[in-house]
Amino acid sequence: MTVALSVQDVHVTLGQNHVLKGVSIDARPGEFVTLLGASGSGKSTLLNVIAGLQGIDRGHVAFDGTNVEKRPPRKRGVGVVFQSYALFPHMTVGENVAFPLRAARRPAAERAKVAREMLELVQLGEMIGRRPAQLSGGQRQRVALARALAANPGILLLDEPMAALDKQLREQMQVEVTRIQRQVGITTVSVTHDQAEAMTMSDRVAVMRDGRFVQIDTPENIYRKPATEYVARFVGEANLFPARGGELLPDGVTDGRTGTAVIRPEDLRVLTGAEPADAWSVSGVVRLLSFQGSRFRLEVVSDTGGRVVCSLPPQTDAGTLLDGNRVRLGCAHPDRVHVIAATANDDAQELVVA
Amino acid sequence: MTDRSLLRAIGWYRTPIIAIGLLASLLFFVPFLVVVATSWTSGSFILFPPTGFSLQWYETVLTDRQWLNSFWLSVVVAVISTVAAVLLGTLGALGLTRIRSRALQRWVRTLFIAPIALPPIAYAVGLWSVDRRLPFLDDTLVSLVVGETLLAVPYVFALVSSGLAGTDPSLRPAASTLGASWPMILWRIELPPLLPSILGGALFAFTVVFDEVVLSVLLLPPGTQTLPLKMFTASQEAFSPELTAASTMVSLLAILVLGGAQLASNRRNRAARLRRKASA
Repeated sequence: MTVALSVQDVHVTLGQNHVLKGVSIDARPGEFVTLLGASGSGKSTLLNVIAGLQGIDRGHVAFDGTNVEKRPPRKRGVGVVFQSYALFPHMTVGENVAFPLRAARRPAAERAKVAREMLELVQLGEMIGRRPAQLSGGQRQRVALARALAANPGILLLDEPMAALDKQLREQMQVEVTRIQRQVGITTVSVTHDQAEAMTMSDRVAVMRDGRFVQIDTPENIYRKPATEYVARFVGEANLFPARGGELLPDGVTDGRTGTAVIRPEDLRVLTGAEPADAWSVSGVVRLLSFQGSRFRLEVVSDTGGRVVCSLPPQTDAGTLLDGNRVRLGCAHPDRVHVIAATANDDAQELVVA
Repeated sequence: MTDRSLLRAIGWYRTPIIAIGLLASLLFFVPFLVVVATSWTSGSFILFPPTGFSLQWYETVLTDRQWLNSFWLSVVVAVISTVAAVLLGTLGALGLTRIRSRALQRWVRTLFIAPIALPPIAYAVGLWSVDRRLPFLDDTLVSLVVGETLLAVPYVFALVSSGLAGTDPSLRPAASTLGASWPMILWRIELPPLLPSILGGALFAFTVVFDEVVLSVLLLPPGTQTLPLKMFTASQEAFSPELTAASTMVSLLAILVLGGAQLASNRRNRAARLRRKASA
């Protein structure tokens, strides 16, 4: 079972804090949507609203067109994977996974069958008799996922699902969770502050800031066509330059009202001395060149004092890029430059100067 | 490993620490050993060193109706009060986690712990004056049990609260999203992991109530005595080795019960460790 999710103009106040200031988002059945934002942006609150764990002041939450904002969590048919996984420590893995069926008073035979099936799905069949304390972090996460899916919910909610794992395991589990989500075909809303995780797992990413959505789009568009400077800098590294009407302005023009061009580090290149300047270029002094395996990361302080980051292929001859050397950077892919209209930014002026 | 490195780090400073530790344990055990020794005297006075050896005073205590009645009365009062205190203390600790306001939480916590700090005599006098206005309670243990329960609740509350602090606060929301109703969450999710804390709290509550004298003096129906009260009066009347024999037996009983509880929890911990090891 999988349902379409619709959140309409939801407001939540916690004490004095207006945590959600009218958020709306729709998810198609089977879609994987990630709420991405810094801590305090309201993303976890929104997840709790969908789960029914957090009441709302105003607005609607609908599953397949039916309003559910009055329904208690246990009647919503949502599966939640909590950040701590919240496995019941006194129960075995099998009992944990079968718990939603026990709560629904299903017969013991069915409980055992579903527990086995769900554990097979997450490839932990042989762990059915263990206690959560005997499992590794990644195994616990998979048990939590199996338990969340056991009662065949309409929506799966993941609250910072990778936060408790170390980096290597995290990447592995991102792939694993996505595989299971696709296999089950369940509508999924995940919360994270890790942009790489959001990019890897989601069909769409919803960037949140201060209780509002800033942009909801595919991972590629979030990266290539950020709606605001905040998104541009939150997702990946971004160089921001002044622009007018889609055209880059020469460096040093600080008329912020004209708009902001976003150039990703991999779209910049180093211009050698004899090379004619592209339509646009920026010159400055090398501050740091660091080798990062798949690329060189070149950080340059431009003549106007801005920081420019450039990615270079690993076979680049680094000999001329010593700290303190002067370099000129041009844009290798002018077609990929994205310009944010000045009206999209509340904070355009401040940023261009920086 | 940390123990040993800690010792080394302390260096020669540990000499006075060890000395004070030894002195403290002497202070603890010597009076107890004296009491034990005087109880097996064959004379009829509490004397140290004891004169001769006999178990006659144990026999006297164990065959005396008064001592036995007092013992059973104490057991009954302690059992009822412990059960009531376990219920109230556990529910209090669980209820506290459902209060959202931090300030209110602090207040309620303080109120639950307060009876430990109040002088029992003030409390006993208060309860006694209430008791006098309710004549139908005259010949019952109700007021005493109520009083003892209130003295015991803080211990259960404190232990269960600390047990709760060690559990994941998302267990309850997790269970509710999995379809569990609140009675099921309470019974199957919240209480089972707290069982050790609840049993620990019950043990504390029982010993506190069993040894309590002040409330018994004022609130017992006339003509009845709990064991500690009987001991107290015995110590004021004749200084007979009956008293030390009874004390010894109560102490032995306490040691047996506490030792048993310790043993059980050790065994549980060891089993849990073994299970973890087996999986590693």
